[in-house]
Amino acid sequence: MKQNRLLNIILMIYVLCIFAFIFAPILFSLVFSFNSQRFPTIPLGNFTTEWYAKIFADPDVWLAARNSLIVSVSTALLATFLGFCTAYSDFRYNFRFKGPYLALILLPPTIPLIIMALAMLAWLSRLGLSGQLWSIILAHSVLTAPFAMAIIRLRLNQMDPDLEAAAWNLGSSEWQAMRHIIIPFCAPAIVSGLCLTAAVSFDEFAISWFVSGLNKTVPVIILEIVQGNIDPQVNAIGTFVFLTSMTLVILAQVFFISRQVKSHS
Amino acid sequence: MKRKFDLYAMTWRLPIIFWQALFFVGPLLFMIAISFFVVKNYRMTEAFEFVNWQKMLTRNYFWDSYGYTIFIAGISTIVAMVLAFPASFALAFRASDNLRRWAIFLLIIPFFTSYLVRTFSWYVILAESGVVNAMLGYVGLGPFKMLNTHFGTVVGYLTLTLPLVVILQTVTMANVDKTLIEAARNLGCKPLATIWRVVLPLSKTGLIVAALFCFILSFGDFVAPFYLGGSQEPTLPILILDTTKSGQQWPRAAVVAIMMMATLFTIAFAAIALAYRKGGAR
Amino acid sequence: MTEPLVTFRNVKKHFGDFVAVREMDLDIHTGEFLAIMGSSGCGKTTTLRMLAGLEAPTSGEIRIGGDLMNDVKPHERDTPLVWQSLALFPFLSARENVEFGLKMRGVDKDERKRRALEWLDRMEIGEFADRNITTLSGGQKQRVALARSLVMEPQMLLLDEPLSALDANLVIRMQAVLTRLQKELGITFVYVTHSQSEAFAMADRVVIMSQGEIAQVGSPKDIYRSPANRFVAEFVGRNNILGGTVISQSSETVSVSTTSGDFTAVAPADQRTTGSDLTFSVSADLVSVSIDQPDALNKVQCNVISEEFIGSVVTLFLESADGHEFKVQMQERDLIELDLRSGSQIWLSWLPENAHVLDGD
Repeated sequence: MKQNRLLNIILMIYVLCIFAFIFAPILFSLVFSFNSQRFPTIPLGNFTTEWYAKIFADPDVWLAARNSLIVSVSTALLATFLGFCTAYSDFRYNFRFKGPYLALILLPPTIPLIIMALAMLAWLSRLGLSGQLWSIILAHSVLTAPFAMAIIRLRLNQMDPDLEAAAWNLGSSEWQAMRHIIIPFCAPAIVSGLCLTAAVSFDEFAISWFVSGLNKTVPVIILEIVQGNIDPQVNAIGTFVFLTSMTLVILAQVFFISRQVKSHS
Repeated sequence: MKRKFDLYAMTWRLPIIFWQALFFVGPLLFMIAISFFVVKNYRMTEAFEFVNWQKMLTRNYFWDSYGYTIFIAGISTIVAMVLAFPASFALAFRASDNLRRWAIFLLIIPFFTSYLVRTFSWYVILAESGVVNAMLGYVGLGPFKMLNTHFGTVVGYLTLTLPLVVILQTVTMANVDKTLIEAARNLGCKPLATIWRVVLPLSKTGLIVAALFCFILSFGDFVAPFYLGGSQEPTLPILILDTTKSGQQWPRAAVVAIMMMATLFTIAFAAIALAYRKGGAR
Repeated sequence: MTEPLVTFRNVKKHFGDFVAVREMDLDIHTGEFLAIMGSSGCGKTTTLRMLAGLEAPTSGEIRIGGDLMNDVKPHERDTPLVWQSLALFPFLSARENVEFGLKMRGVDKDERKRRALEWLDRMEIGEFADRNITTLSGGQKQRVALARSLVMEPQMLLLDEPLSALDANLVIRMQAVLTRLQKELGITFVYVTHSQSEAFAMADRVVIMSQGEIAQVGSPKDIYRSPANRFVAEFVGRNNILGGTVISQSSETVSVSTTSGDFTAVAPADQRTTGSDLTFSVSADLVSVSIDQPDALNKVQCNVISEEFIGSVVTLFLESADGHEFKVQMQERDLIELDLRSGSQIWLSWLPENAHVLDGD
């Protein structure tokens, strides 16, 4: 018994070590963003907000932030719409080639980003759509739609399958039932989907870098700074990106999980 | 059976087909097409020639890079699986449900933090005068060269893959029927033997899927080998990057990309066949 | 006889290779309480869903009020359904649920609200009008579901096992509510159930279905006293079924030789053929019991196997010498007088006119 306790303690310490490894870069980035040393090490330098001041003064960063905002919001709307359509089709209908149909939407995240980036660049150039913010949005919608689809599909699983038919039975056409029953029921998942797809799009750098041309988003700016030199500005920007993404993810969780608990009670 | 066009059904079914055909299948097929195009005077022209394939596949540097990418991604996958296993085991069998849920929630966070920023953070931490060497210096060790080595690349890959591997391993093992483990222990199976003979076979499918995802992510990542590995030995993604960004040689980059896809498909099929092989999991 | 409200003519419904309903002919009359009863998979719910337009018949015709309904969409019909799962809209309040159908029909806001509240009051749940539906009890939800359908003032209400989720006490209460409503409103109720007690307690007519076909249509009393065939006799459950060969006949009766003995039964003329096979049933409550051998035409000696009490009615399960199972229903006080214990030998007897001859298979 005693041996078992000891083993448990060792295992839990090991778990903590793994978590330390995973979270070390995130925490250090946060710490370094307030550290005066250009090349941070131990012992730490003085507390400073110099790097934040620098990025706030940089018009390129502001422009990139604006671009990122446009891209992630548009991507979220587009991807969640596509995800919703697919989730509903999967929920409601059985049809031939449904397997390939679902594969079509679920496959993109498993393809290495660098390959997607190259393929997108070549294809969008060919269509004359590259080098614009729109190019990033098109590519990101393909990449993130599966996330929205998965969340909305899970929500539809919780729906009493008779609910939609009950609406028809009470005089709603299929379109009215969609508007008055399906969409309100899925609303929390739709909001979660919007948040998650926005978060994924907000962090994506490979495709954005390839297809964006001169319209840089925040991750592309980070990539370019990192390529140049050691510059703790990256940590300051990174902290902002982190806070934005986490807000979106936590919002997604709140909407999805709280509703799940509610619908089970 | 009469077949009418159902406007309502098609309104929901068709958008994704249209969209993915245009912006997912289209790009991938076009990439195959351009691998046969030729570049003249820095301009790509439509053609059907095997010159790019021939140029790439007969070069040693391509095959060196190919071998190195598989090697380093493979090593990184093994390291990730082995490092993650005791932690996942602890979370699956020794932690309360609540603790496990929290752990998994925490492990999701890294997916939504910038991978670039995390890599940059490692760059600073692992540098010759960075945090790790400074700490080792206090106990009279080092400094060690960690950047621009295999070690650096693997650390970068692990940053990307370890959270996912721990999540997948934990979820898989947490779903193993606990009574089977108790039964094995009851029949006198030693703890390590129980892991080897009961836990591993029962969670085989999930573990293989975890390893597969880990490999796919490492195989396709250019950030870790570029910034932490120093890119002296370029991996295939770096090859694509260089060929596309500097030389405008999209057709040759496409050849590399297609080779990567073919490799990943082969490995994925093999892994899935292995995972669902009869007489395994049950 | 007035025109029936609903007619099924030669209706078939297939799902792939599975035949849910075959060759159905049925009339449903205005103002009647019709129960469709059968075990699961017999086609009763499919029949109801075809009435609501949720399934289209594979072939045949369904008419409501004389109009052919085969291809009429669900929302273009006036056939509100009370669902087994209730299918209340979880994100709406009780009142909003009741208003839903009116809203879809374009009734204006004030009128909707007035009518919804009126029906909620009528169902005695007016005080919960603005409560979220998920916070109501099973019985309250049931009433909301009824109000939601009835507020549409339909000519016909469809009910699909609406009481199956309620506990026994509530079932009895809701049965009374449903019967009263149907009488007050004078509209047609089509009630699908697997529960014999629900069907017999409420319905004017009962349709018994088996494997996609109608086995018998009739009043509860008809079905109970004169089951049309062996399936119905067994399904109703309170019948003793005996089969054998006709050995002699008289002007009204036949003598049948069975493995349990020879019995006399009143039989219709076409069944009185010596040498032919014949099956008859005797209702469990029409069998008399005695310790001593009775002076009766039909009698058989049995061992008592077990007894089952439901209220003051007791069912005795017995077995004759040849292993045939018999059931007898009696009042509990009559049983006490007999002073039986398990394994006791007693005599059963019944009158020839209480033996009901079943149609051949």
